Amino acid sequence: MTTRERIRLLAEAVRASDTQAYLPDLREWEEALALELGHPEILDGFRPFGSGYSQAKAMSPLLHIVSGNTPHAALQSTVRGLILGAMNWVKLPSAGLPIFDRFLAALPRALAEKVECASTLPAHWLKQARAVLVFGNDKTVSAIHSQTRPDQVFIAHGNKVSFGIIFDDPGWQSVPGAARDISLFDQMGCLSPHLFYIADAISIHEYARRLADKMEACEKSQPRAPIAPEHAAHIQAVRAEWRFRALTDSGIAVHASEGSTAWTVIVDTTSEFTLSPLNRVVFLKPLPSELPIALAGVSPWLSTVGIFPCTPESTAQVSQTGVSRICRVGSMQYPSGFWHQDAGAQFAPLVVWIDFEP
Amino acid sequence: MPATSHPPADTFSELEQALMDAFTQPIADDVFDKLAMRIHRYQQAQSPVLAQFYAQYPPARHWHEIRPLPQSAFKLADVCCFDPSTAIHTFHTSGTTGETRGRHHYRSMQLHDASVLLGWKRLDLPHHRRVILAPSPTHAPHSSLSHMLGLLADSESDFCMHPTHGLDRARIEAALDGDAPLALLGTALAFLHFFENSTRTWQLPHGSYAMETGGYKGSGRTLTKQQLLKKFTEVLGLSPDSVINEYGMTELSSQFYTRGLDQPHVAPSWVRVRLIDPESDKEASPGGIGRIAIYDLANAHSNLALQTEDLAITKDKGFLLLGRDPAALPRGCSREADAQLS
Repeated sequence: MTTRERIRLLAEAVRASDTQAYLPDLREWEEALALELGHPEILDGFRPFGSGYSQAKAMSPLLHIVSGNTPHAALQSTVRGLILGAMNWVKLPSAGLPIFDRFLAALPRALAEKVECASTLPAHWLKQARAVLVFGNDKTVSAIHSQTRPDQVFIAHGNKVSFGIIFDDPGWQSVPGAARDISLFDQMGCLSPHLFYIADAISIHEYARRLADKMEACEKSQPRAPIAPEHAAHIQAVRAEWRFRALTDSGIAVHASEGSTAWTVIVDTTSEFTLSPLNRVVFLKPLPSELPIALAGVSPWLSTVGIFPCTPESTAQVSQTGVSRICRVGSMQYPSGFWHQDAGAQFAPLVVWIDFEP
Repeated sequence: MPATSHPPADTFSELEQALMDAFTQPIADDVFDKLAMRIHRYQQAQSPVLAQFYAQYPPARHWHEIRPLPQSAFKLADVCCFDPSTAIHTFHTSGTTGETRGRHHYRSMQLHDASVLLGWKRLDLPHHRRVILAPSPTHAPHSSLSHMLGLLADSESDFCMHPTHGLDRARIEAALDGDAPLALLGTALAFLHFFENSTRTWQLPHGSYAMETGGYKGSGRTLTKQQLLKKFTEVLGLSPDSVINEYGMTELSSQFYTRGLDQPHVAPSWVRVRLIDPESDKEASPGGIGRIAIYDLANAHSNLALQTEDLAITKDKGFLLLGRDPAALPRGCSREADAQLS
């Protein structure tokens, strides 16, 4: 089966399983593969490459170890492996991933045979995999890494944090997009914003009020998933702490859903990056003049910054902060098919090459 | 907001004396309510921090209407009813380097110490030689636990831990080799270190017991209660019922105790507990999981009502402590990535 045929069949399975929201447009991935490997059909045979010819071959089998935070990682990593033509072993969270199961059920047999799943990691998978891709927190990543061999390719997608910046917005146009970025997937993904920096020209308190209204609207249209008691307790503790701080600092404010932990917007007066307890808790902070200093504590883990307005001038202000993706506020959760996840290539690290020098 | 329809707030000494008198016998609900409301008025009158905090809420008419102060307030402000520079004791919460620590100031130790000693007396334990796996109050003057253990110690007690040198294993082993029953008191983490580095085992004389407290925060360790109790049995020959767990914290002046596994923590009669539903922030339903709010009369000079960050389920006349660690929660509650990857 050629690369193009695989992509066509995968696109049909994505449509049939209604999993488009979790994957980029596969036509973009086809293009990204061509950009990274140099030719769209280079996996199918020798193709011109520099002064000679080369063929790329997928490393196989690929072992994907995915966490339960979002189904994106399982779907995207497996689909990339299938595009390359690899055998894919997928270690799923013990609680399962129904959306992933739905996608697998829609795969034609020729591709379904290339995916094997388990909720407990079989020992031989780690030994025999050519490449190991891990999605999880730093502790999980380290634990798996310590069990791999030097000859295995190891790709880690550990903890990441994202944030937004509102440089200017006289018409409050960014507010719905910010609420969407916060609410989607209940902040469980690495692209979910923990906070938004608000420029001086904008009233941070007015922005908070408007964002709170939108968060309430999001809760009505797309309620947050139920959360475990310890997570709800953490949110209540964070709210209580910031309400206490607000007693002596009028610059601090807490907007929160009534009678539940569904959403929380906290206005702070300091600019140091604050990690959110997630599940739709976001901080609004004044945009500092020295952004890299404010981000210093989290710089190794930075992923995406959503900016508004999304202009080249604004981009220039954030490109040196250590982020690996800059996008428009409202699109943080939907990276394009050309996204270099965690600043790395998507397909190139998972192939080996055969060169023909006539 | 001070309740003007009530009598004027007490003075420091009036309140302290009233409480000392009350602590000598079981405190009935109506007496508790009266004392709690007196303390509440006193604290609003004397503490600008608490006056400001309670000004946000309607005046309480009953102790359980008093909004509990978040535990984090002790890190953010001096929560006390006097000038903190006049404190005779200040206990600090534990924390990692650079982390802001909570501070609990005391103008007098009378109520605190009475609470510790009377609370311990309620356990009705035999008095044995104490072997203490925690630093002495001299070595850790800002540790409320060391202070408490200092109160429970006597001239024959051995503090077998130094804040920088760690456990004095030789001293502990010498005590364990004796023929007389022992009372081993210390942190769960210290016991764990001792057990894990011990090549020997003991069968302690009948009547011996242990009291462990605290969790494993910051140590990178996780251990279930069952696993810890198993180690007490394996290394010291102590049955689970001979191991007492203390639940306390720097921000409080009283302690809760339980024995063995799956038994509720019980408070002395000068302490009441409410469980607050973590989602709604209202009273938890019976049998439901709630955040523990503690009303401690012995905290008269700081803060009566404390909202802890720990979770529990009501059981009998106490609560079954789940703690903050998701691993301590009933199976299936945690959505943490780690748990799902296991």
